[in-house]
Amino acid sequence: MGSSLIWYLREFARAEWIKKFLFAKTAPLVTPSYFRGFPEPTGKTCQHALFCMMACPAPGAIEVVHAGDGWIPKIHKGHCIRCGLCVEACPNGVLKSGRILETLEREGTSLLFSFRIAIDKELCTGCGNCCTACPVNKQVDAQMGAGGHSSNDEVIMRVQEGDIVVIHEDKCTGCKTCEMSCPNGAIRIARILEGYQQPVQEELQ
Amino acid sequence: MNILQRIKNKVRSRSIHVAYVDVGSCNGCDIEVLACLAPRYDIEQYGIFVHNNPREADVLLVIGAYTPGWEEKLAMVWDKIPSPKAAITIGNCPISGCLFDRKGSFVDPPVKKHIPIAAEVPGCPPRPTEILQAIMSVRDSVFFDWEEEHP
Ligand code: SF4
Ligand code: SF4
Ligand code: SF4
Ligand code: SF4
Repeated sequence: MGSSLIWYLREFARAEWIKKFLFAKTAPLVTPSYFRGFPEPTGKTCQHALFCMMACPAPGAIEVVHAGDGWIPKIHKGHCIRCGLCVEACPNGVLKSGRILETLEREGTSLLFSFRIAIDKELCTGCGNCCTACPVNKQVDAQMGAGGHSSNDEVIMRVQEGDIVVIHEDKCTGCKTCEMSCPNGAIRIARILEGYQQPVQEELQ
Repeated sequence: MNILQRIKNKVRSRSIHVAYVDVGSCNGCDIEVLACLAPRYDIEQYGIFVHNNPREADVLLVIGAYTPGWEEKLAMVWDKIPSPKAAITIGNCPISGCLFDRKGSFVDPPVKKHIPIAAEVPGCPPRPTEILQAIMSVRDSVFFDWEEEHP
């Protein structure tokens, strides 16, 4: 017992041990560059495609605002969850975060947007407000009057015999103007975001 | 500032005791605070100790989007902490309600309007390094010159 006590004391009296005990610190922590941070501008010009705002899952996290002559996406810290979807969604590569852009290029992935128009027939009165408010409809058929009647088959939706009929759902841009113009909350736009992969060919790599 | 005050400042800023409350989070930020205690980040090497007792605490970490259950209670916890004290909010939730601040939800952010907040750490969840940084910056700004500010 006596010898083991002496052994312990000798062990703890080693200069190296005392130095380690007093001065040991974990290495300073640096955030690796591939960690997803808050998205930052890459310097490319924003084309106001607004895909970032459509993809963003966090309320109030991203806003595309005027900057001089053009536009610029602005990230609000405290709202942004650093998911990186806006970086992935932007067709012009305006934002960057971690190694998302490199991964997109390597894997050949992209995001596809589409929109579904759901109209609750119980609530809809066939007033046609949504049809006349829709900016795509306005472009296709400038003659469409109040009431939403149209003889043009290229419109997104129109009123036929007092009922609303959706003809070209695929043309919807997801602006949600119709949602805001409906007096009964009958029309809802659903945003569908699909991941898509086009594998990069071997010889191109 | 006399020598005693100097010593008090020094000692205070070298020994920060932390309590944390979760006022309605998804548990994500709680886990990141917990990660600060792990050997990887090792919060205690900076003289920061987690007790989770407001009467012993210097710094209160507030996590979560402030649900109705926390009316009065959070202020009560805050009042129990002896001065000098500072509150830090962790994550997006106490700043904006994060993903929970939607129509029909009961959360009442920001926490800033319920108790005074010294620092906010955004992120969902913030990284342990960011939480550590916030505690250290509060340490340097609140506790380091407390004696001069409050003679
Ligand atoms: S990173 Fe995610 S949460 Fe943040 S702005 Fe982009 S899409 Fe929104
Ligand atoms: S979301 Fe916009 S584009 Fe789509 S139907 Fe409604 S108004 Fe038209
Ligand atoms: S605005 Fe609303 S109520 Fe009127 S036609 Fe469109 S969906 Fe129906
Ligand atoms: S900020 Fe995000 S991770 Fe933290 S509690 Fe809120 S939802 Fe959860």
